[in-house]
Amino acid sequence: MNGLRHMAVFSAAFLASLILTSCSAVQQGTDILAGTGQISASDQQSIIKTSQAVSATFSQITEEQEYYIGRSVAALILAQYPAYDNAALNTYINTLGQTIVYSSDRPEIYAGYHFLVLATDEVNALSAPGGFIFISKGLVRRCKNEEMLASVLAHEVGHVCSKHGLQAIKKSRLVDAFRVIGTEAARRYGPEELAQLTTAFEGVLGDVFETLVVRGYDRKYEYEADDLAVKFDAAVGYAPKGLTDFLQTMIGDSTAASGKGWFKTHPSAEQRLEKVKNRIAALSSVPSEASVRTKRFEQSVAGLN
Amino acid sequence: MKRPIPLTLTVSLLILVVSLLVAETLTVKVQSTSLHNTPKFYAPTVQSLSAGDKVEKISAQGGWIQVRTSGGAVGWVHSSAVEVPKFDLLASNKGLKTQASASEVALAGKGFNKQVEESYRAKHKEVSFAWVDRMLQIKIAAAQVEEFMKKGKLGEFGGGK
Repeated sequence: MNGLRHMAVFSAAFLASLILTSCSAVQQGTDILAGTGQISASDQQSIIKTSQAVSATFSQITEEQEYYIGRSVAALILAQYPAYDNAALNTYINTLGQTIVYSSDRPEIYAGYHFLVLATDEVNALSAPGGFIFISKGLVRRCKNEEMLASVLAHEVGHVCSKHGLQAIKKSRLVDAFRVIGTEAARRYGPEELAQLTTAFEGVLGDVFETLVVRGYDRKYEYEADDLAVKFDAAVGYAPKGLTDFLQTMIGDSTAASGKGWFKTHPSAEQRLEKVKNRIAALSSVPSEASVRTKRFEQSVAGLN
Repeated sequence: MKRPIPLTLTVSLLILVVSLLVAETLTVKVQSTSLHNTPKFYAPTVQSLSAGDKVEKISAQGGWIQVRTSGGAVGWVHSSAVEVPKFDLLASNKGLKTQASASEVALAGKGFNKQVEESYRAKHKEVSFAWVDRMLQIKIAAAQVEEFMKKGKLGEFGGGK
């Protein structure tokens, strides 16, 4: 009899230890307190929710939420720069972009990757979370071949893959948002929760937009995106030289002095060039350019005004 | 006389079996994706999958996972399209990322969703979503990418490797 009881206690302890391995220390702590009657079950729940909110990080943003953040950031970018309405060019950019996406680290995202040319002479490329990638007409014009364009797009795909845009979001916004998400079981929010979430959403958009368009990413993210561009280029079969060739055109550029677009938001081309060259040298095999690609690039951008 | 199987053993075996079974079930986390007959985006599609669909993992290769649907169809999905198993007991050792992604399905439709976007748009009528929706309409089929790669001598169609 005693033996059976021991066994039951042991198995309960075994079960508990298994369950606890997947729970946070907070959960364990509140379990103990609730068990001793020191806090109520509802107190326990609110403590757990608060701790979840406090530990809020960008990595807890779901694919679907990333998509909704991205949609609005894209809308804000398009309020700043008009779209270049050229179906043939946009199809070419999207086909090239999708080719890179297939060889990237994160080919599948909530609603897929979408690319669009912006009608501005400013040299710039931007990627909103959720795979909304923009490239300016000025930048396309600067590219001499498909390898250069592919490298720029691969750099932007890299930012999306590594969720660099989401990392610009201030923790406080996520704390606010997750607090509402944690308390609501429903997917349809009441007026109060909706107002709180909308305020947090506005803050999130401001953080991401400010970083993408005004302030620029942290330098380490730019270098990381360059690394990924070389990696994706090589994986697809594009000559990563496209990236060094592109960066080379940015050195000593007279528009750089104006500090607009890319020049304002990226580390200096010289610094990037150095690192990219090292990255390419480390590749086991380096693809080379192909005239067939340069020819189709020239045809695709021929109508660019 | 047969000795009864100790309760501890039964419980631990049960937990082991359940955790192994659960660990093999993956959930689609993107809006839609395809099950391919070989691990390639432009390989023929076996069937389409939507967010929330559950599939059973059979094997893995590169970034691809071979799965079986509830209807019995077998094919390959890219690992970025599916959710990491929910009750991965090792998840606590792998840091936040794995744990966080495990809540992906539980949080489906919550937080920053369509309703929040509508509320934001009602407050900011000056922000147009027309081109965002047009962007989403630009869809490049896998066959188009394959053709583009072939003509451009890219990937497996390249001369060298």
